[in-house]
Amino acid sequence: MKNVLSYHGPVNIDLVSFMANYMKEVVNAEQAVTKRLFKVFIELAQNVSLYSAHSKKGWKPSEEMNRGIGWLQVDENEGDFTVASGNLIRKEHGNILQRNCDEINMLEEDELRELKRKTRNQADVRDVGAHIGLIHTGLISGNPLNVEISPIDDNHSFFRISVKIDKIINN
Amino acid sequence: MKSLVIKSETDAPYYPSVNFDAESGVCEIAGESYMEEAYKFYLPLINWIKEFILNEKRPLTLNFKLIYFNTSSSRLIVDILETLRKLREDGHKIKVNWYFDPDDPDVKDEVEDFEIESGMDIQLMELH
Repeated sequence: MKNVLSYHGPVNIDLVSFMANYMKEVVNAEQAVTKRLFKVFIELAQNVSLYSAHSKKGWKPSEEMNRGIGWLQVDENEGDFTVASGNLIRKEHGNILQRNCDEINMLEEDELRELKRKTRNQADVRDVGAHIGLIHTGLISGNPLNVEISPIDDNHSFFRISVKIDKIINN
Repeated sequence: MKSLVIKSETDAPYYPSVNFDAESGVCEIAGESYMEEAYKFYLPLINWIKEFILNEKRPLTLNFKLIYFNTSSSRLIVDILETLRKLREDGHKIKVNWYFDPDDPDVKDEVEDFEIESGMDIQLMELH
């Protein structure tokens, strides 16, 4: 296993963009694989940035939004890459997150596409939510979402997700 | 009516470039789209399109040349396409082309999902 990148701290859009583009530069893989890595990394990183239960005020005065704090990692293995992220969540969100990920893992490709369309259509344009990014991640990776939710304190759990991106694309 | 032009910037590559030409009615969204609060970027584009079609009453062509878009941008793309579908049902002449990156293994399915979800048909063309 070779580490491509790892980061822990506040995540804003400039950082997401920098890391995703850095990864595109350093990874030695087929274009199609690099594109999938880029897409999955951005979805997971933006979920940390927007939905982590641990956040800080933006570091530039112009930034109005809070920045989610979390952890991001990309590793290269023999036949695939692993993209992983972790962040604090409110304890009461754990069950629904687990259920959503279990459902994504159970569905076939066509069913996932249908779920994505339905979820997207019902999503608020101002805040589309984390669910659609997870469905999309399951869909384009073609692999299960590995999820661990561990209790931290009375109000928080730690949500960790990893997904493999195959180096050989079958479709 | 004025054209709507937004140039891409290297220090903010998560915004696409926009060129909505009021003279020809040919509109283009190109590049990458994964900004935060995507609605703040896209709602003015939807308003421009509505205003052009309802006031100018001329045909409109929208060319998507996006090489990457995240899921929250895709939510707004569906809104654009639904707006266009409704306007076309009212008799306005509208065409949508999607120039796809041939190296992207997922984009054709995504465009098909856009068609199903919005009811607007999209012509697929290869991006060179």
